[in-house]
Amino acid sequence: MTLRLNFWTIITILTWALLAVLLFGPVGSVLLSSLYGSKGEFTLANYVTFFSDWRFAQSFLNTLVLGFGALVGALLLGFTMAFCMSRFRIAGSRFLSLLSILALVSPPFIGAYSWIVLFGAGGVVRAGLRSIGINMPPIYGLGGILIVFALKFYPFVYLMVSGALGNVNRSLEEAAEGLGLTPLQRVVKISLPMVFPAISASALLVFVLAIADFGTPRLLGRGYSVLATEAFAAYSAEIGSNFSMGTTISVVLILVSLVFVALQRYMSRRNVYHGNLINKPTRIQLKGWRNFLAHVVVYVVALCGALPVIVSVYYSFRKTNGPVFQDGFALQSYQRILFNLADVVRNSLTFSAIAVLLIVLVGTIVGVLVARRTSLNTSLLDAAFMIPYVMPGIVIGIAYIAAFNTGAIVLTGTASIIILSIFMRRLPYTVRTTATALRQIAPSLEEAAVSLGYSPFQSFLKITIPLIVPGIIAGGMLSFVTAINELSSSLVLYVGSTMTMPVRIYLLVLDGDFGTAAAMSSILLLLSGIAVYIAFRFMGRDEQALL
Amino acid sequence: MAYLEITEATKSFGAFVALQGVNVSVERGEFFTLLGPSGCGKTTLLRAIAGFNDLTSGEITVDGVDLRRVPPHRRDIGMVFQDYAVFPHLSVFNNVAFGLKPRKIPPTEIKTRVAAALAAVHLEKLADRLPAAMSGGQQQRIGLARAMVINPRLLLMDEPLSNLDAKLRIELREEIRDIQKQVGIATIYVTHDQEEALAISDRICVMSAGHIEQIGTPQEIYGNPRTRFVAEFVGTLNLLTPGAATDALVSGLGVASAEQWAIRPERLALSEPGDSGVAGTVTRYTYLGREAHVYVDTPIGNLAVQIANPGVTAASAVGDTVSLRVDPAALMAFATNGARIGTGR
Repeated sequence: MTLRLNFWTIITILTWALLAVLLFGPVGSVLLSSLYGSKGEFTLANYVTFFSDWRFAQSFLNTLVLGFGALVGALLLGFTMAFCMSRFRIAGSRFLSLLSILALVSPPFIGAYSWIVLFGAGGVVRAGLRSIGINMPPIYGLGGILIVFALKFYPFVYLMVSGALGNVNRSLEEAAEGLGLTPLQRVVKISLPMVFPAISASALLVFVLAIADFGTPRLLGRGYSVLATEAFAAYSAEIGSNFSMGTTISVVLILVSLVFVALQRYMSRRNVYHGNLINKPTRIQLKGWRNFLAHVVVYVVALCGALPVIVSVYYSFRKTNGPVFQDGFALQSYQRILFNLADVVRNSLTFSAIAVLLIVLVGTIVGVLVARRTSLNTSLLDAAFMIPYVMPGIVIGIAYIAAFNTGAIVLTGTASIIILSIFMRRLPYTVRTTATALRQIAPSLEEAAVSLGYSPFQSFLKITIPLIVPGIIAGGMLSFVTAINELSSSLVLYVGSTMTMPVRIYLLVLDGDFGTAAAMSSILLLLSGIAVYIAFRFMGRDEQALL
Repeated sequence: MAYLEITEATKSFGAFVALQGVNVSVERGEFFTLLGPSGCGKTTLLRAIAGFNDLTSGEITVDGVDLRRVPPHRRDIGMVFQDYAVFPHLSVFNNVAFGLKPRKIPPTEIKTRVAAALAAVHLEKLADRLPAAMSGGQQQRIGLARAMVINPRLLLMDEPLSNLDAKLRIELREEIRDIQKQVGIATIYVTHDQEEALAISDRICVMSAGHIEQIGTPQEIYGNPRTRFVAEFVGTLNLLTPGAATDALVSGLGVASAEQWAIRPERLALSEPGDSGVAGTVTRYTYLGREAHVYVDTPIGNLAVQIANPGVTAASAVGDTVSLRVDPAALMAFATNGARIGTGR
């Protein structure tokens, strides 16, 4: 008994140590760095600059506009899609779900570039339209970013809300119908409040992801600056690099995220409904123009969301001459990757694999700690693990540079720093899913094993572990998807020898070599797709788990 | 000394006292039931015997061995759970064989013993299936076979039937009773269902608020309850309204200081108005097939009368005047502290 107690005490200490080195330290460094001037003196000058400089005020405002715009757009598309899919019979609904998963796991900002290819200054679709006399404005600017964000982030809303809508007891809506409410009133007064927690959770997620997104505003913005791009610019400027301004912007970005997480928690706390599920909702068959309209809406949303993926797969097979596309198809882009960029693919695979192994190992042990050893200590731990949720990738990157550039542990320029940043960002998800899975296993199962003659530790190994392993493997696969697609923190942390696929794609896009970028995106997509497929094999088809 | 001996068992969770000095002894091969409402401490006591929660103080011995010094997995006690606790990732066979493996039993013997246990619970045909898709009744049969097959020193059952539907509950409780008698393992059974307790037990221990109200055979518990709590919890009870009419009825019984008089519905009978007895008016008639309940408003209270074999035509209608025959020997008297003082049977 004392031995086991010691074991868990050691694990608790190690977990706190891990958090101190990989999370509190870097975040603290960011905070500290933002409070010091160029001569190492303590000062609030950076914040004064931030709040007085028109340029930063503008990007702060832009960030909020972008966050809320993305939130509104994604909610509109996502809720419509969720409502149609969960309440009406839609032909090919599995295909539509697949399209939304495609949009979800597609490599970051490749979406933005695909839209440029179609609707940019020299866009294919724009050129086509111009030839028949229609002049449409190019997609650049705020409007373009918002369209891309809405289509990129709607799957989060769709998956979360459709899950919740599927759990609203149909009797409630039937009761409302019996009380004389019209169909629209039923949706607004009954269904909407019931799924509000899911709506607010997904809205928050969209907001946090949108303000953290770096690639899309960078490519589409054309001067529309946001905090994420400003932070990166302050950090990476060749001349006049201003690291402490970068960290100041990072702190502001963290605070904005924190405020919204707090807000969402406050809003959904009062609105959690626990219904019974005796009467599950069914899908009704619409007739005539209504049926037609519902199909048009969901297919347009799903196809537009998956369009970047389709475009990049298509262009990856196009014949090229240097960066210029030719007529016809060829495997040149893939050949170029095979002969010139194989090390980048190998980097991505090894970094992600190592990160995922660490995540699974540490995440499972800490998840057990959180679920089984409930005390003040572990609930604090649970809260500490919320922090990476609200840390934009670019901020994690800058934080790791701030913490590991000098001092006791110097990691900048190594593969370890990229692996550790991915590890820290994804660890909370695994801790959380493990803890949830453990809480769902009835304690009587282990008690039964104990009563049959197994020691508590043997019972845990023989009963609990086999029951949570499929979930852990599935979670690991989903972490792999996140890890291999990670752009913004790697962009800050990479050096030539530790370049990963998303970073390479970003640079290729900046160089205008879309053929190679498309091919590499397609490889990335294939790898993500395989991981998602394995995950679904282990836990059943559960799109919710992708969030 | 009895086979299982629990002495002065006390358990507190912070300020809440779940068990206050409970003494129980159970003989070899006995079917012993802990009966009481939720929160009375019956499950706490059972889990203390299993070792999942230790007592705050007190002693538990089996066959003279102090159980509190033995870790739960060495106690050799079979347990059947309310939620079945069947391992979902193991086949029915492996579920039942699970407890035999740490006992280092040779594979051939495991096979024969598991087969016998599965046959006893009528699951021999499902041995290779996974339990996930099975019905509650089948899962609990697995739980029963799994607990029995290790030949434990004691079998504990924690409301094993409460998640099953009424018909299956009756069927399975008969089976549990038969199997327990065949193998002769001393069994502690926890339930809040008084009918189940009466049907299945050799002896019943009625508990309330952490203490024991009465221990006795089913006949003693139902027919001769020692406290008002037992009389009301096991079966139904008519309470007579205190007053002149009740006083007149009980005057010859020689119990002076009764706080409350009571009688069971089946000990009352109806006859034609004007016959000797207490006059009253029917206020409700509930027909249940094999019996009927007639509620009669009388000077001694609004009493339920249970009529066996009510027949095909309604015996009485609301508003009928009737005469209520009260067998004085069936009256029960309770003192202010709830203790039984009358001797009616």
